[in-house]
Amino acid sequence: MSKQQPVLFSIGWNACINCGACVAICPQEAGFVSPFDTIAVDRPCDIACLLCESICPVDTITHVAVMQQVPQPALVVDPSRS
Amino acid sequence: MPQTDYDLIIIGAGPAGSTTARFASTAGLRVLLVDKRQELGSPIQCSGAISGHGLEAAGIDANPEFIHEAIYGFAIYDEAGARTVHDYRQLKPDDYGSGPGKKPLGYVVDRRRFDRYLMTQAERAGTEVWLKTEGVGYQPQADGSCTVALRRYNQDITLSTRVLVGADGLQSQVGKWAGLQTHIKITELAGCLQFIVDGVETEGLLEIVTGHEWAPGGYAWVFPKGHGYAEIGLGVIATMTDKPAQWHLDKFMQQSFFRKRFANARILEVQGGGVPLAAPLRTQYADNMILVGDAARHVNPITGGGLHTAVAGGKIAADFLIGHLQDGLPLQEGALQAYQNVWLSELGDKMWKLYGIKTDIFHNMNIAQRDEQLYATMSDYFSPTSEFKKI
Ligand SMILES: Cc1cc2nc3c(=O)[nH]c(=O)nc-3n(C[C@H](O)[C@H](O)[C@H](O)COP(=O)(O)OP(=O)(O)OC[C@H]3O[C@@H](n4cnc5c(N)ncnc54)[C@H](O)[C@@H]3O)c2cc1C
Ligand code: SF4
Repeated sequence: MSKQQPVLFSIGWNACINCGACVAICPQEAGFVSPFDTIAVDRPCDIACLLCESICPVDTITHVAVMQQVPQPALVVDPSRS
Repeated sequence: MPQTDYDLIIIGAGPAGSTTARFASTAGLRVLLVDKRQELGSPIQCSGAISGHGLEAAGIDANPEFIHEAIYGFAIYDEAGARTVHDYRQLKPDDYGSGPGKKPLGYVVDRRRFDRYLMTQAERAGTEVWLKTEGVGYQPQADGSCTVALRRYNQDITLSTRVLVGADGLQSQVGKWAGLQTHIKITELAGCLQFIVDGVETEGLLEIVTGHEWAPGGYAWVFPKGHGYAEIGLGVIATMTDKPAQWHLDKFMQQSFFRKRFANARILEVQGGGVPLAAPLRTQYADNMILVGDAARHVNPITGGGLHTAVAGGKIAADFLIGHLQDGLPLQEGALQAYQNVWLSELGDKMWKLYGIKTDIFHNMNIAQRDEQLYATMSDYFSPTSEFKKI
């Protein structure tokens, strides 16, 4: 499982029924959740077991693979524009 | 033990948390009950069936405030539609029925109203309740107490307590905070979807439909929901199908032996959730912390029912904590294992036995035989002679 490439999950909110099944099956540490009682969608999952995708009753979770240790793009704030 | 803000902080005001809170407050403990939701029970992730006995044993009135409809028995179907009926109006006509002096066998409750009712009863018993308050962590302290971190309307609050009760349901994080093994196997969590519908008749029975064809790894159900409404739902095990529950529910409604009955079904609500058909957690305690209800996986592994076990477990947890705290016993280094032992002897051992029966069925790889076993087991389970009647 852990040999998988990390993934970033995406939830089709239009179909999501906030049932929480994805969180219930998720083997991640505490806190890998979104404010809508789903698995987190704002940071990569390094386990990538994809169990959440298979349990989702309305099949609304997808993922994209992300590179390991993506350099975080620095947030550039141009003070002259503010 | 130093002075703490509360004796108990309970995370999660579902049936397990509110029941623990009610009994603990009644005995005079200082209890804070928190829930992250703004409206308890919502969105609904439950079908709401509970036995009259289950309510009674946990000291809950069958109050019209939360009851959708009274239930008088069960009908269990095999894949082709043959059925076994246990209608207690016929089996025990002196006890069960709608007439004077008779009672229902159980109820289908509205979880929004049920959860709110149980919270209210806890508040009236003296529990302090905070909604819109999420538990985010806890830390046992060297003095024998612990601190609990909460977030309430964006405000971070840390409070001290003697015991933290994790009643935060199947998505439980509290057990994870303590590093407990809470992970559930994909082969033991059914992905469920259900529709509340108009235009489907029911007969005061909980109807259970077995068969791999309709619900691989789980079962389908039709429950009366009051006001002439019904609920049609099912749960599937992901490793036994490559389709989501939604696909199976559509198929069940359109192609099963019930397709004529369902032909005029109009969908009023869509709900879902995960149902563990699994064993209880092996370890349900840590320093200053115990788990109760779905968070400890106090769920019937055959039916997936967890309401009765949540309120029964809440009472067991409260009774234990009342005695333990009054005696000033330690709360760390394995001392709370005593809670788990009480729970096992009152409820858990039976659940482990059910888990054994369930596992035997689903280890059979021959689908036809497995279907037959599941139908026979379900039919037997709900019969008046079942040894598991009281779960
Ligand atoms: C589709 C479906 C159908 C079901 N049908 C039935 C049935 O017919 N009969 C039956 O007996 N059982 C049924 N069940 C099972 C039943 O719903 C559960 O067993 C029951 O809800 C468990 O109660 P609980 O109090 O342990 O947890 P929950 O009811 O899940 O309550 C947990 C509470 O904790 C709160 N919470 C969670 N995390 C936090 C946090 N960090 N901070 C603050 N609050 C938090 C939640 O908001 C929630 O209010 C069904 C389940 C599903 C999914
Ligand atoms: S399992 Fe699917 S429907 Fe349920 S909360 Fe997660 S994303 Fe939403």
